[in-house]
This record gives sequence, C-alpha cells and structure tokens, in this order.
Amino acid sequence: MKRLKKWYWRRRTVQILALVLFFYLLLGTSQGNTMFLPQDLFFRLDPLAGSAAMVASRSFIVPMLLGMAVLLLAVATGRSWCGWLCPLGTALDWTPSRRQRDSDVPKASQLRRVKEVFFLIILIAAAFGSLTLIILDPITLLVRSASSVVLPVLSLFVTSAETWLYQFSFIQPVVGWFDGLVRNTLITDNSFYLPNLTVAAIFIGVLALNAIRSRFWCRYLCPLGGLLGLLSKMTRLKHQVDHGACISCRRCARICPTGAIEAEKQFHANPTECITCLDCVDVCPKNAVSFRWKSGLPELQRYEPSRRQLLASLGTAVIVAPLLHFTAGVDRKESLLVRPPGSSEKLLTSRCIRCGLCLKVCPTGGLQPSQSTTVWENLWTPALVSRVGHCDYSCNACGQICPTGAIPDLTLAEKRRTVMGLASIDEKRCIPFAEGRDCIVCEEMCPVPGKAIVLEKKTFVNSEGKKTSVLLPRVRPHSCIGCGICEHYCPVRGESAIRVFPSAHSLNGGGGQRRRGQST
Amino acid sequence: MHISRREFIRRLAVISFATALAGKLLAFLGCSLVEKGELTPSTLKPSPEAVPLAPPAAIPALPLPTAPTPPSVVASPDTYLAVVRGNNPSDMVETAIKALGGIERFVKPGDDVIIKPNICVAYHSYEYAATTNPEVVGTIVKLCVGAGARRVRVMDQPFGGTPEQAYVRSGIDAAVKSAGGTMEVMSRVKFRDTPIPDGKDITRWQVYGDVLEADVLIDVPIAKHHSLARLTLGMKNLMGVILNRGQFHSNLGQRIADLTSLLKPDLTIVDGVRILMNHGPSGGDLNDVKLANTIIASRDIVAADAYAATLFGLTGEDIPAIRAGAQMGLGTADLKSVKIEELVV
Repeated sequence: MKRLKKWYWRRRTVQILALVLFFYLLLGTSQGNTMFLPQDLFFRLDPLAGSAAMVASRSFIVPMLLGMAVLLLAVATGRSWCGWLCPLGTALDWTPSRRQRDSDVPKASQLRRVKEVFFLIILIAAAFGSLTLIILDPITLLVRSASSVVLPVLSLFVTSAETWLYQFSFIQPVVGWFDGLVRNTLITDNSFYLPNLTVAAIFIGVLALNAIRSRFWCRYLCPLGGLLGLLSKMTRLKHQVDHGACISCRRCARICPTGAIEAEKQFHANPTECITCLDCVDVCPKNAVSFRWKSGLPELQRYEPSRRQLLASLGTAVIVAPLLHFTAGVDRKESLLVRPPGSSEKLLTSRCIRCGLCLKVCPTGGLQPSQSTTVWENLWTPALVSRVGHCDYSCNACGQICPTGAIPDLTLAEKRRTVMGLASIDEKRCIPFAEGRDCIVCEEMCPVPGKAIVLEKKTFVNSEGKKTSVLLPRVRPHSCIGCGICEHYCPVRGESAIRVFPSAHSLNGGGGQRRRGQST
Repeated sequence: MHISRREFIRRLAVISFATALAGKLLAFLGCSLVEKGELTPSTLKPSPEAVPLAPPAAIPALPLPTAPTPPSVVASPDTYLAVVRGNNPSDMVETAIKALGGIERFVKPGDDVIIKPNICVAYHSYEYAATTNPEVVGTIVKLCVGAGARRVRVMDQPFGGTPEQAYVRSGIDAAVKSAGGTMEVMSRVKFRDTPIPDGKDITRWQVYGDVLEADVLIDVPIAKHHSLARLTLGMKNLMGVILNRGQFHSNLGQRIADLTSLLKPDLTIVDGVRILMNHGPSGGDLNDVKLANTIIASRDIVAADAYAATLFGLTGEDIPAIRAGAQMGLGTADLKSVKIEELVV
C-alpha cells in the first residue's frame, strides 16, 4: 500500500509558492512599479548577502537585518530554508539529476566542508573590503542570471516569434494582445549583451552539476548553505530513526536529495546537510523515520569546521582579497567604466552584492555586469554601457532598488544634476567632421536643458568646389552629465563617434553638482 | 531537563563572552547606522516622480485681439487653413475643426482613427512645450469618438523615457482616457519594411504597420525649434512612426517630405499654445517657452507648417522640409494663395 506522501505535497506547495513569489517580485522589478512587497525581499532575507555587505561597508543596512529571521529559522529547524524556501534549491529540485543507486549511497565527505569554507572566505574577504566572492550567493546568482541572461534571451525568442507570426494577418490581433500582455513585464526590447555569457556559464554550470549528484550545489558549494548548515548544528528539530522498526532497506538514504543520511550511522541524518525535506519520512515503509522537536538549550557540539580549516580559510581570504585588488599596472582610479549615477568604485567595492536588481530595473538595458580586465575586485558590478542603453533622464530607479545603497537613492532632480562622466567626440569618425555632412543627432538627443552639446556652423569648400556649410557638434564639459544618450543614438556604424568616459568629476565620490548657466 | 551546576556556569560564561565579543565587533565595525534606512514596503517609487516646476515667470505672450469672433462667422466650409487664437485650448481646437467643415468631414462612423501627437520625451510636463498639449489631444479624441469612430488610438515613440512614462508625464494619457480613446505602445513587432513609391531620397523605410492601415491619420505636432530641421512641425512629427531615426538624419528635409508623401495625414492640427523657441526637441528650460496661444488646422500639412513657421518669425522658405514638400506637390507653402480663416475664441 502506497502511503500518502503528505510531506512531499506540503513541501512542494510551499516551494512553489515561494518560487512564484520570487518570480512575481523579480518581474515586478521595473521602473516606477510599486508593489505591496519590496522587490528586494529575498535579498533582505538573505543573511549571507546582508552580513557580507554590512561587514564590507562597516555599516548597518537596516532592511537587510531581516536576514536574522532566516538565521533564527536555521537555529530552530535546520536547513529548512534550503529545502522549502530557497528559489535556487527549488530550481535544482526540478533540474534532472542522477538517481542514487544502492551502491553509491552517499556519505558525508570532506568535500562538504567546501561550502562552509566558502562562507568563511566570503566574510573574511568582506572584512578586508572585498565583496567579489558574493557572486556565489545563491540568491544573487539567480537574480543576476535572470536579469542579464535568461530574461534577455527569452525576450529575443519571444520577439522573433511574434515578428514572424505577425506576418499572418489572421493571427495579428492575438499577437498584438499577447505582446501587450508580456512586454515590459516578462520581455523587453533590450537585447542580450554578449559578454554576459560568463554569467550564463556560471548559472548553467550550477544547474549542470546536478548531473553528477542531485543538489550538488547545495551539498558542496553553496556558501549560504554552509552558513545555515553551521547554525543547523543547534537545530531543535531532530531527525530520529526508530531502530526497532528500521529494516535497513536504505530507501531513505537513496531518496535524500542532499545525501545527508549516513547508512553506517544507523541512517542518522547529518543536521548540517539535512534540508528537512522530509522525503525520508514519507518513503520509509515502516514509518521508522520522524522529526521531533527537542526542547532545551542548544547543545554545543564538536566544533566544525576544524581549527585547521578555519585557519586555511583565513589564509585563503588574506591572499584572495588583495589579489582581487590587482589592477594590472593600471591605477585603480583610472577605471574606464561609467558607473550608475551617484555610485563610485568605492561604493561598489564596499556594498555591491552583484544582485542584478539594477540590471533588471534599468529601462534602457544600459546597466550591465562589468568585466573589466584591469580591476577584478569589482567584477560584475553595474556599469553603464551607453551603446547598449543610455541612462534615461526621467529615471532614477537603480538607486531606488539597490538593496545595499551601493547606488545611492537620489531624487530625480538630484540625479539629473549628478555627473556620471563626460562625452567626447571622435572627430575622425563623426560625420560632420569627417564627411562634411550634417547630422546633429547627439545635440538633438541631449536631455540637459540648455543642451550640453552645441553646434557651430563652419563654412568650407567641398570636394566639388562648392561653398557649403556644416554644423559641427562640440561638447560643453561643464554641462554634460555623461548620460550617454548621444553615444547611444549616434548613427555612425560600429563604435560610436561620441563616447562617454568617466571624468575627474564623476570619479571623485560619484557626482558633482553642476551649476546651471555655467559656461564652458 | 537537568544540567549540572558546572555545566550551567560553563554555558553562562560562553554566552557572556560571546555577547561581549559581539559588542566589541560592532564597535569595531563602526556605527554608520541607518545608511540605507527606510523600511518602506515598496522600494520603487511611482513614476513619473514629480519634478517641481519653476513658476512660469513672465513668459512673453502674443497679444490677443480684444473681441472674440462671433460663432456665426466660424463655420465656413471653404476654409483651407484655420488659425484660432484664444486662452482655452479645447475651444480653440473645436473652433478650428468646425471652421474646416467639422469632424464629420474627416471621420466617418466605424473608422479606425490614429492620432499622432508629439510625445518625444518623458522628461518634463507639458508646460515645457516639448510635448503636445494634452487638452488639444483630448479634445480631438473626444470629437472623433463623437463622430462614431470605431476606435481612436493615440501613440508615439519617445526617444527619451519609456512610452508608458512619457504618456503619463505629458498628461496625454489622462486626457485621452477620459475622452474615450486608448493609448497604444508602439511595439517593435508591428514595424515593417515599407516601400515609398514617391520618395526622392529614400524609397523604403521601416514604418509602423497600423499607421498605414488606419482609416484616418491625424497629425498633432507641437511647434518647436530643431537644430537641423530648424523647426519641427507637422511633417517632422511623422518621424515618430518609423525606426532607425538616427540614420534618417541625412538629407533630412527631403526625407521628411518623402515620408509625408507616404503617410499623407488626413488632418494636421499644429499645437501652438506653447511653442519651444530654443533647445528643442526636448527643451527643459521655461525661458525657452513662449505662449503663442494659437491652434493651426488644415488638410494641407505643408500649409499648416508654413503658417506655424511664422510663429517663430520664419517663413516656409526657411524650412527645408517645407520647401521639399511644396516642391513634391504635397501641399502649398504659399500662404497668400489659400483661404485662411483667422479666428479668436
């Protein structure tokens, strides 16, 4: 008689609800969209991202203190976050994985300490001021991959399909209706930025590891799992086996998604590895497995990771953190990346958790994860790639959504005065300079009242000997805010003839304020 | 539960030590408390966020004639070009259309109407004269709905800001919806490669399919300064329905005329209530805005543009697009040769 898999269905329901909430919040992360919950809720709940950001920035980030709730959850119920709520965990549960055979019923191995070591390295590196390794946090991994890879690729497919289907007049109203439904929520006009293939590689890699073992990521690599696992040693919810009833059929060990059940220890579940999925309770033919609340103070168990491992983590972090500062001979201040308005290299280093929310919210798709070869410590922090998307003059969403304040929350009026860089014209390629033809698109697009680009009329004799005139653009450095709309719309093919570079103004703590009417 | 005294003391010591250590650690980390403080339920704020308007101090206005035109004079079916001045944009638009013979001349019951105003940016509210006056657009929608149109859609492709944002900040979204029309976001999917048979400089371009298929196209530009075209008026406003506008800027005057030859709007109503004298098309400085309090309407887009040019002290000859359009026979720029009705409400 097959017993009703009650825990299976309960857990699946909770997992689905959590995942639906996660996607609902993610898709609702768009400019101007107010929702009943904060769109960065999962980051506020993430204790790893929160603590790393707070340590690195030496400040309290109040909304992220919500992460303590998840820590308390781990102390009380073990790694139930991993088994019931974590969206990446849910995704991995549904990713095809290798079934465990009887012969290779897994045991807890030394490899499992890797995730705890990752966690320690992240915290210690953060204490030294480097947050790069937070890219291993599962929530940032998921949101970043969704924002920079999955959703843009999805948009590409859907838009291509729609365009093709729109040819057939009988189906046009349906296509139009569907497009109205999904555009700017699920799909955008923003295209996939090719360098983000590295982001895709990590994400696909994590999913692909499931082919080796189910929930490979959760077992060996996830630093959040490492943190929660360490706290789970104190869990009040204890896995118990009735040894009188147990017939050593090994079904529980085989079905365990993280291989937490140790056959040689009378099928006892290691609390550091157990994600309290309760599948073992359902599958046991003799109802010998149960989880019971144990009262009393948490027991102080044998310390793990061992002192040796702790020192090894410390040593690794000490080596890793300065390495990430490695700038290949180029002065760190001379970064060629244009940063979001009000942000700076310093703010990003100490606060950016690479969550990818700003990438998602940017309406033009201009913010992309940076992969500067000279400065690794800010890997995958947001940079403005103007050719892909400019910084819109009517938008201040990135500062509003940033959960840690790496991008300051500026009002629209403040943001319009904040300098991100300076535009510079390449006269060898700019059409009026190079070809003597009028263009003026950069001046036309410039949003600054009073224009940061002026046109100067120049008369000359053209190749046919005729006296003619052309309007030459010139940037006014004291008015330009570096938004990049000129670079974005410049009709010159390939690299734009007008480009935005960080200026001394923008590099000094992110944003000076221009005085209106100040002449060049 | 029972623990020994020794065990109890041991645990107490550990907890006290841990608390003390935690306190020291917090002090070491420094206290920049509440850097990211607000625990507001939503992190994203509604947009458009209100940008405070500077009071429009002393915007020069054209002097109005003292006496309004009696209504009996207004309905004159031969009017080629109607110019209405006044303080109420709604009344001005209604009067202008009545002067041309009424909306029934342009919109038949069951028609699919597309109204193309200028909503080029989401940066400023309509007082900055970068986008068409919402009352003007709303009144046209109301008239079309009243004439029995099957649907009345209003659309544009802003180059600054998202369409949704631009529609709201310009005030046009609210005006259109209350008049019974719908705002449409121009989806990438609906643009198609279209031949321009009469084109002199360009023979094909990517154009929004629905505009080509609509029964009625009403062009509602706002008169603004433009560095290359000199002014952006009715003909230039049609650029909102094409893609690759950056590439369009070579030989701009002729190309604008070519595009007009393809689209041939049924009615052009130039919003001259506020006009942008400099730093167009996006504006942003109230010092560049002039209250001209004028509405210009005509079937002839070239004539409407030619008259609108006079608001800036220019003539049709000064504007390359108007010259090209007149040359192609799309209309006339010679204002002396046509019946102009100048009215005041």
